[in-house]
Amino acid sequence: MLEIIEANLPALQVVVPLVAAPVCAMLGRGGRAWAFATGISFLTFAISVSLFATAYGGSPISYEMGSWAPPIGIEYRIDVLNAFVLMIVSGIAAFVMPYARLSVASEIPAERQAFFYTAFLLCLTGLLGVTITGDAFNVFVFLEISSLSTYALVASGAWRNKRALTAAYNYLIMGTVGATFFVIGIGMLYMITGTLNMADLAVRIAEHGDSRTLRMGFVFIFIGIGLKLAMFPLHLWLPNAYSFAPSAVTSFIAATATKVAVYVLLRFMFTVFGFDYAFQASTLENVLLPVAIVAMFAASLVAIFQDDLKRMLAYSSIAQIGYMLLGLAFLTHTGLVATIVHLFNHAVTKGALFMVAGCFVLSAGTSSISGLRGVGRDMPWTTAAFVAGGLSLIGLPLTVGFISKWYLVQASLELGWWPVALLIMGSSLLAIIYVWRVVEAAYLKPAPEGVTRREAPLSMLVPAWILVGLSIWFGIDATLTTTAASRAADTLIGSSQILWQE
Amino acid sequence: MTDANALLLALAIPTIATFLIAASGSRPNIRDGISVVASIATFAVVLRLLESIMAGARPSVTLVEVMPGLVINFSIEPLGMLFATVASGLWIVTAIYSIGYMRGAHEKKQTRFYICFALAIAAALAIAFSGNLFTLFIFYEVLTLSTYPLVAHKETPEARAGARVYLGILMTTSILFLLVAVIWTWNLTGTMEFRAGGILEGNIDPAFVPFLLALFAFGIGKAALMPFHRWLPAAMVAPTPVSALLHAVAVVKAGVFTMLKVGTYIFGIGFLGRTGASEWLVWLAAATILIASIIALTKDDLKARLAYSTVSQLSYITLGMALANQMGIVGGAMHIVMHAMGKITLFMCAGAIYVAAHKTKVSELDGLGRKMPLTFIAFTIASLSIIGLPPFGGAWSKWYLLLSAADAGQLVIIGVLMLSSLLNVAYLLSIPARAFFAPPRGQMAHSLGAAASPSKGWEEAPLFCLVPICLTALGCIALFFAVGGIYEYLLSIPILPETAP
Amino acid sequence: MEHHSILRVVSKLLIPPIILYALYVQWHGDYGPGGGFQAGVVFAVAFILFALVYGVDEMMRILPPRLLHALAGIGVLIYAGTGVVTMLLGENFLGYNVLAHDPRHGQEWGIIVVEFGVGLTVASVMMSIFIAFACHNPPIKDEGW
Repeated sequence: MLEIIEANLPALQVVVPLVAAPVCAMLGRGGRAWAFATGISFLTFAISVSLFATAYGGSPISYEMGSWAPPIGIEYRIDVLNAFVLMIVSGIAAFVMPYARLSVASEIPAERQAFFYTAFLLCLTGLLGVTITGDAFNVFVFLEISSLSTYALVASGAWRNKRALTAAYNYLIMGTVGATFFVIGIGMLYMITGTLNMADLAVRIAEHGDSRTLRMGFVFIFIGIGLKLAMFPLHLWLPNAYSFAPSAVTSFIAATATKVAVYVLLRFMFTVFGFDYAFQASTLENVLLPVAIVAMFAASLVAIFQDDLKRMLAYSSIAQIGYMLLGLAFLTHTGLVATIVHLFNHAVTKGALFMVAGCFVLSAGTSSISGLRGVGRDMPWTTAAFVAGGLSLIGLPLTVGFISKWYLVQASLELGWWPVALLIMGSSLLAIIYVWRVVEAAYLKPAPEGVTRREAPLSMLVPAWILVGLSIWFGIDATLTTTAASRAADTLIGSSQILWQE
Repeated sequence: MTDANALLLALAIPTIATFLIAASGSRPNIRDGISVVASIATFAVVLRLLESIMAGARPSVTLVEVMPGLVINFSIEPLGMLFATVASGLWIVTAIYSIGYMRGAHEKKQTRFYICFALAIAAALAIAFSGNLFTLFIFYEVLTLSTYPLVAHKETPEARAGARVYLGILMTTSILFLLVAVIWTWNLTGTMEFRAGGILEGNIDPAFVPFLLALFAFGIGKAALMPFHRWLPAAMVAPTPVSALLHAVAVVKAGVFTMLKVGTYIFGIGFLGRTGASEWLVWLAAATILIASIIALTKDDLKARLAYSTVSQLSYITLGMALANQMGIVGGAMHIVMHAMGKITLFMCAGAIYVAAHKTKVSELDGLGRKMPLTFIAFTIASLSIIGLPPFGGAWSKWYLLLSAADAGQLVIIGVLMLSSLLNVAYLLSIPARAFFAPPRGQMAHSLGAAASPSKGWEEAPLFCLVPICLTALGCIALFFAVGGIYEYLLSIPILPETAP
Repeated sequence: MEHHSILRVVSKLLIPPIILYALYVQWHGDYGPGGGFQAGVVFAVAFILFALVYGVDEMMRILPPRLLHALAGIGVLIYAGTGVVTMLLGENFLGYNVLAHDPRHGQEWGIIVVEFGVGLTVASVMMSIFIAFACHNPPIKDEGW
């Protein structure tokens, strides 16, 4: 039995949550569904840790779906990069699920909670599937699975705030547009090469050389994925979707969905198209660099003026995605390491911050900054968690945010790009402003009249603090994450068919 | 106990004290007791380390590797030891003083105050003991963050605004300039270690050295080099023990200490001198000295006047580094000690005046000297030390800085230092002069007359405030006579690169 | 709309053939256009026609929404379950070769079973969607027609 499980681990990574989802739907009232979903997410996390341990050693894992050999069959291919992302996604799910019990119970009626957890498991399936697969069309299929369930999850915030419905609808339209662009791009690639397997595509694209169809395919894929990862200016769906979704949902998707999209971008740019074509022939770096910098600044500026905490964090996420794209735009090994390590660092930080926001919603009844005045006294642990997460957003030493900033600045100084280094620091200063607004309101202002607030319940506080602890731990000892990111960058560059620039 | 263990213990005691103070918050006497005991214990361990350092030991401890090639490492050398001794020694004084002040002024949130105090001292010691730029930067930021709640302590809108300026300027300079300088250095040399003779020589194009120096000089915002000095007067909204801590012990001294350390161990004094890269800094420091003194003259608020005086005095030390010779480092380091002792006395006096007589403005102090003679005598002694007259400690540090200017052939700077002393006389000595010799104004005469009738004419500050003031004032005098040992000690700061045997 | 005799009679005539056709499409996906997706939709159409003529409540009496939700889940489980069975029998996930005595028959059996799961799910979902929308509006009274 054990050998069967071991041999089929890649498939199980996706199959376990997939099978669990319909079972969860039949579990009736919320409590059982929650317990079941939590168990499944722990199991999924265990599988991804095991896969990471194998891939970290150096050899990529290849699994044939249906025992059909690639390139005809669908192949699951795991190297250090996607093993890393798998761990991030399932890890965040494993932390959010214990948190979700009380948060979801307070935001969604009991009879619908089973469906909520079903949608959650489906979203998890989709995200894991996108990451693990080595087939281009399979990426689209799982991308749609995760997106459709995310739309449902965001819409379930309507029980608390009717605007979630419009937000979800907006997200649905834009997300479907993005996915459609993506699949058109894949269709064009299929047209010129006749294959859908990513490794095979790489070979055949290299043989095929440049052509208008290839360029079109490239652009369509880039735009489609750009919308999914909320690349400026395709980010318009994000603030509303994050603000109005239930807190547990935001904690999960803010930490995973965009990261997975960045992973897809990396995979296509490097493995499928090859570095030479993707960046130099198409001069993509001329697009990515300004887009990233504008995202960093514009989003941070808007975040400063938000009164709603979740909205502010949503705009902050857009800025952080700008950092990831900036690392990519450098086109050096250090820049790539910065992007990959920021996938982890941001997931941990934003997951913690949105969990804290959920704690505020539960105990203080509001997520508006002016409504949270004086909350530092009533909810000391929760607010302290916010401060710690905020310090990581700013990028102060001893937090994970510092590690990412360090690599970004190092990458720009290696290239001699002075202004970019100063711009990166400048955006940190903007982050100080919007984080400090909350700190001042929470600690230095008296509470509004007649408001009583109790500390958040342990089942929500503990996962939030675990994530905060991780963001500090990996800020103090970042060797594990940075080495993994470095190896991932190596494999990514190595998988590129055409030689690297250095 | 080994030196390495003593090093870790010196850092651990204030950190543990933070938690103990937090735990005992509901019992003020125990809490304040822990504060004092921790300060004495830390000083004892630091003295033990001082002994070792003077005997030639250079202990080093590496804690953790944060990123490949970047470690958190503590290594003690003479300059750092000096700063640590000053910081931990004066913590005792400030801890006792705070008890008197906070209780006398009926301040609230005292537990938070003592927690942040202990944390700030821990950060300052960590800065003193840093073995590489990376560690120093980390704890430099920790110091800023841990002192923010202290500045914003009173939680009034003015306090919040002042704290915002404080945080804004310090964070902006450290993130925008200092961090870039640190990463640039890492890029150039592949190391962040502090080494005798500096690590930059041979790794950087000499044309770039002034720029890197500028990034460091402006990045070290805690040294209050103009135009990034505004945080100092803005931080005056804090209670006086905080000002005493900030302006004598932890924050500003951490700033100028970093300046000296970077100059000596990253650039190398010889390298700076040869490339002439710090010429511009000499003039900027000189300008800061004079401009800040002139502004101090115009300030009526006592703490604001002392704040600008501090801005001016800090640039003495920056000047010492910029003059790029050994006397400059000796004079600058010595000034860390002398100025700390003098300024802490001045600020504690200002606090005592507030607690006892509720006066904050210089113009209100006329005739107060008769009611608070001890306080104002201490004020006078400290002022004379800052001005630089014998037999007070400040005379020696000024002397060595003058020597340094002469060594560098900067005669104009000698003039600047002399002029600065004159300005110091004007804005500092006028205060005790008015307090003792001017007749009390208006209402004051009434209340003095009324209060003078009962037995005691004195209305001095509470004992817990008065004793530390007298101690540090006597310290100013004692330092004058102890300068021989300090001078010999400071000569051991390595200026030349260590040649391999 | 029951008293509209033409509608009633025609629907009674049509619904069984529709269902039969759905089953035909379901099982003949191997040999011609068809399979679970199309079959499921056609199957659902039969019931939707019933609901249109005889009223949604009647349809919900025959197929309660909770049953439909459960069936949808069961359809997915049949599909995924087949994959799990193949894993237990030694092949990779959804490797149908082991399901019968030789690979060719194994593939046939595999496809038939998974398509059945698909058909079940699609039919249930189509009917659930219809019910979800139809229940929003109160039934129009006959005079309204």
